[in-house]
Amino acid sequence: MPSILPALEWLEALAWTTAIRESSWGYPIMETAHVASIVAFAGLVMVMDLRLVGLAFAHTPLTRIQRPLFRWQMAGFGLSAATGLLLFVVDPLRYYGNVFFRVKLVLLALAGLNALGFHLTIFRTVERWDEDPLAPTTARLAGAASLLFWSAIIVSGRLIAYNWFD
Amino acid sequence: MTQALHLVAVAAFLGAILIVDLRLLGWGSVRQSHVGIARSAQRVLLWTGPAVLATGIPQFTTNALRYYASPVFAIKMGLLAVALVLTVTLRRRVAAADGDGLPSWVPRAVGAVSIALWMSVAIGGRLVGFVE
Repeated sequence: MPSILPALEWLEALAWTTAIRESSWGYPIMETAHVASIVAFAGLVMVMDLRLVGLAFAHTPLTRIQRPLFRWQMAGFGLSAATGLLLFVVDPLRYYGNVFFRVKLVLLALAGLNALGFHLTIFRTVERWDEDPLAPTTARLAGAASLLFWSAIIVSGRLIAYNWFD
Repeated sequence: MTQALHLVAVAAFLGAILIVDLRLLGWGSVRQSHVGIARSAQRVLLWTGPAVLATGIPQFTTNALRYYASPVFAIKMGLLAVALVLTVTLRRRVAAADGDGLPSWVPRAVGAVSIALWMSVAIGGRLVGFVE
């Protein structure tokens, strides 16, 4: 399998990535924007998950929570993805070999698949159980998985700062 | 690891703040009542708040002199105090009133100030680690 390392080395050597990487302001600004947008985004997802698993908002129909929040969740995700991508692009070799970074990417894929699966399956029949205080088992499982994945994503993201296994 | 768990607790706490603030701003579904969601969100704040404190306080006590000397930390705590007071007084009343008898700018202003304050607390928390 061809390695992506040469591409990462090329990225790292670019003038603009080097300038941001070596500046004193680049990392603090990108990192702060990334953390602030990810806690806001994950929080908006988690309150919806809490409704799904039946731990909160039981007497509010799910769609009254989900519909208005959706675009804010997407905006928050867009901002955290953009800042996250930028953090990676300006210093790719720092992250490439980091085990927590790799774990985070796998967890992101799993969280994405979980959300996609939820929307393509059980959420299609939401009119039938929208007002039920306790959602169907499949929906509760998707909510629990989402809570778990996003918590683990935040934890692994924070742990990238430690290179325990390098 | 304490910081990692602090972030998870902060995310859940912030979600319960934002869901109500977005409604106060009228950016949720406007016709839907705030009250049920605000009351349930308050319960989420009551169990995530202690988790935020339980993961936040040990960070301070294990590094107290550094935090004590940090101007960013002092600002974060000041903003936190203001945000908490707003949340348990004016914001709670406005969310419970559900727009009854209030000019429409009042819930909007309270929601906007609340979002600004709580996001500043979160941003301040990250900046403590950057600014000496």
